[in-house]
Amino acid sequence: MTRVPLPPPTAERRQTVCQFCIVGCGYRVYKWPVGKDGGPAPGENALGIDFRQAQPPLGTWIAPSMHNVITERDGRRYNVAIIPDDECVVNRGLSSVRGGGLAQTLYAPDRPTKARLGAPLVSDGQKLRAMPWDAATDLSARVVKAVIDRWGPDAVGMKFFDHGGGGGGFENNWAIGRFFFSGVGTKNASIHNRPAYNSEVHAAGDAGVGALTNAYADAELADTILIVGANPYETQTNYYLAHMVPNLNGDSLSLKRQTFGAEPVDRGRMIIVDPRRTMSVATAEAAGGADRVLHLQIEPGADIALLNAIARVILDRRWHDIAFIERHTERQTFEAYQRSTLAIDRPIESVVSEAAQIAKIPEAQIYQAAEWIAAPKTKGYRRRSLIHYEKGLIWGLKNYENVASIVDLGLLTGNVGRPGTGISRLGGHQEGYVRPAYPGGRPALNVDEAVRRGEIKVYWVGGCNPVLTTLRAEAMEAAFLERGKPVHAALAATEGKPVGARVAAVVEALKQGGMMLLVQDIYLTATARHAHVVLPAAQWGETDLTSINGERRLRLYEKFMDPPGEALPDWRIIANVARRLRQLYLDDLNPKMANRFLDYDWRTNEDVFIHARYSFKGDNKDPMEGYAGVTYKLLRELGNNGIQTPTRLVNGVPVGTVRLHEDGRFGTPSGKARFIPAPLPWPGYASKVAKQRERYRFWVNNGRNNHVWQTLYHHQLVPFFQDRFPRPYLEMHPQDAAPLGIESGDLVELSNDMGKVEAMAYISDSVKPGHTFMLFGQPRGAVGDLVSDHVDPATTIPYYKGVWADIRRLRADPKLKETVSFLPQNIAE
Amino acid sequence: MTEKEKSSNRGCVGCPSYGSFPVARRDFLAIGGAGLVSLAAARGSRIAPAEAAESQPAFPVTDIAPLADIAAGAEMNFYYPDADSPAVLLRLPSAAQQGIGPDGTIVAFSLLCTHKGCPVNYRADRTILICPCHWSTFDPSKKGSVVIGQASEPLPQIRLRVMEGVVQAFGVDGLIYGRHTNIL
Ligand code: SF4
Ligand code: FES
Repeated sequence: MTRVPLPPPTAERRQTVCQFCIVGCGYRVYKWPVGKDGGPAPGENALGIDFRQAQPPLGTWIAPSMHNVITERDGRRYNVAIIPDDECVVNRGLSSVRGGGLAQTLYAPDRPTKARLGAPLVSDGQKLRAMPWDAATDLSARVVKAVIDRWGPDAVGMKFFDHGGGGGGFENNWAIGRFFFSGVGTKNASIHNRPAYNSEVHAAGDAGVGALTNAYADAELADTILIVGANPYETQTNYYLAHMVPNLNGDSLSLKRQTFGAEPVDRGRMIIVDPRRTMSVATAEAAGGADRVLHLQIEPGADIALLNAIARVILDRRWHDIAFIERHTERQTFEAYQRSTLAIDRPIESVVSEAAQIAKIPEAQIYQAAEWIAAPKTKGYRRRSLIHYEKGLIWGLKNYENVASIVDLGLLTGNVGRPGTGISRLGGHQEGYVRPAYPGGRPALNVDEAVRRGEIKVYWVGGCNPVLTTLRAEAMEAAFLERGKPVHAALAATEGKPVGARVAAVVEALKQGGMMLLVQDIYLTATARHAHVVLPAAQWGETDLTSINGERRLRLYEKFMDPPGEALPDWRIIANVARRLRQLYLDDLNPKMANRFLDYDWRTNEDVFIHARYSFKGDNKDPMEGYAGVTYKLLRELGNNGIQTPTRLVNGVPVGTVRLHEDGRFGTPSGKARFIPAPLPWPGYASKVAKQRERYRFWVNNGRNNHVWQTLYHHQLVPFFQDRFPRPYLEMHPQDAAPLGIESGDLVELSNDMGKVEAMAYISDSVKPGHTFMLFGQPRGAVGDLVSDHVDPATTIPYYKGVWADIRRLRADPKLKETVSFLPQNIAE
Repeated sequence: MTEKEKSSNRGCVGCPSYGSFPVARRDFLAIGGAGLVSLAAARGSRIAPAEAAESQPAFPVTDIAPLADIAAGAEMNFYYPDADSPAVLLRLPSAAQQGIGPDGTIVAFSLLCTHKGCPVNYRADRTILICPCHWSTFDPSKKGSVVIGQASEPLPQIRLRVMEGVVQAFGVDGLIYGRHTNIL
């Protein structure tokens, strides 16, 4: 019979925040020795709950998925329970499907997570073999030094996470950024799945508007919430459930009245711009009624045209915020914006009908959206609209102009810096961006191309999996294979020889076009399998880390268990290599280079945190993540509610910032926001994309979903998740599937000029005919293989969503049909 | 790359290995750290349910209805394993995993959502169970698997059998919401 053990009153308690999405829900960790369980009476367990009776709905419960048994380095076994924190203002006791399974992702030697990396590995030409840390550090440092000395810093390529949550956070990001930017000094840097080191929202930055401007409470206060290119039920779950839904269903009305006094308030409305009818649309309608939800089911790439047409209607109706524009924006940018982006020389009807045609939506919906966003409320009060956007827009047709179009719409309507408003990313992962400035310019260098052209001699990849997630991924993997070969051979030929001889052989291989691949990660990923040296890292819960969520809430994610084997926190791995490099340069009598690797003698995680706090300066001296005065001690005291960055010191005490720009100041030299004009209301498709679109029949929209996180690095090891989606699914409309003989559970092949990939068909009317949707970044079928190498020339951001391919049925998979549910994923009532 | 490599399972644990250098198991074992085990060793393992070592009281056997009374499309509420645990018996339009009856279409589930315990509703035209609180949905033909939603456990399936023409409940797969053990 299934049961979960209860923590005894003596159980150790730790605060933490979910490692997964941007929302950053608070969790409580209980840890107690195996065999020392608590009892069901309230005094017998750490929760103080009477488990002799069943808990009422919405009570506290330890689901089996929230418990695990771990083994520490000394061999002692403990129960760990990780349950959502009722007192955290972010999630208010809610878990999501991902957070509810946090305990399942912990390293355990008797569970599938035993696949974690626990020792440094080096290639012997055939296999990866264990190697002591000192030797791995020395070899890595010597190769990096040899490459800098012979080819210059730009021949050292890096691809690392810069996120919060997971194994990221301020500490690791600071160490890694400092090493590569101030130490090595390379411009060939890149992050996550991107080919370059760039902001995804340069346009917002140029406008002087922060990336994460609002507080989650603003979603409870807004009159209208606009969501562009995001699916918050699935991928910003508890922000949506705990803050947006109460606005739609009226639960937040009393808070609105209390906050706004005489101002008229009502239940909120929601506008969702998404080519799919997602669970977010279905649940918003269930919560608020279909008449309060407007779903604009657009065509790919139509966002800019749509948003600019909405803005044009608002301008023509004179619903724009004239007072805000005059006081807080640079006048000439507003004029340019009206002329070019909004095409005021053209009749409004022609702009709106053109946008409606591009987006294939009724014109009336454009007028309606404009009204919901900006028509004044009764008694002349301005409508408060909260404007949110994410990857549908960011990874869209033209990154810079896409983001500009929504930021401009927000500025036009004055929806920033007031309760109930905001112009903000919804976010994917959490944040914790503290780094010295990237030494390159804008647009940033395209590292993928530098790898393929042979300019990168050593490529250090940490916590990223380009083989699955970069654009034109097949070609990237081919380069890893091809350019990796001579280095594997050099390492094989010099096995057991002194390190000097090994490095000399590697350098010879690099001269012949080889590339050394260093991979720092927690699992042997698809990319790590090509590595020459693998460096095992600690993950969430195995070391103290700090991060912020989507409303800049900074918290301490406490360590509650040991990393496996000899794995180390990323910052420590980097610091060890930096210290070794310093010594090697000192031995070389090169103090100039040696000094670039000075001050890596951090003893604790907090040492790194404090070092970053004093050294980090963002664009405006008051960067989004600035955290003056914050210590681990303070964060422990503040618990899972933390403090919202940026902080400033008032009488020596750190004070947080609920929402950005409330003081009316923006991140430009003038302190005023800038409209970012675009040359035309809609730029059209780039030629490479247009060609693919003409040649192939289906649009392959792609992204995340509710159940699984990123590349499944954890979730493929947890049966609950793996059994739900044993393969990436491809949503196809029944009208498209039937003529091709495709049924749910069939395996299909997608192919185009970039590559081929397999998926599991999931027939659904969530997509329009001609559209499909595939889960991205999956180990058993990576959409990256189909993504063209086109990037926005202004920002080096790819058009990941712009994939077209042909689809054919391969075969039925009876096992999938029998065990996997293919019921619709967008039914809420 | 060969055609075979292209379509193989990159980075998928438990899938055929891929890439240039599979890890050798003995190398991991040689360094002796706890849990340093190769991918090959992880293949096929599954998490066992959190079983308690001590012995448990047995599930009761409860009559639900005569098999002959369970018509097509039937939906019957009952309580199991005790009066605080609402459950539902369904006769689905087609065979279900662990379904009983002549055509394997009869199944039963706890009604308490495994997210936060709200009672779920059955929508017959879509054969789906929907939680009104945060919209977790469950597939009764696939062992209560979470179609989409925030529940991190399947809906507990009630074990059914037919004894002398009567459908009986005699056990539960999974833990019922709000309990640390199914039999309190
Ligand atoms: S909503 Fe995001 S942060 Fe919260 S529990 Fe789910 S995955 Fe974790
Ligand atoms: S209680 Fe059922 S989805 Fe939350």
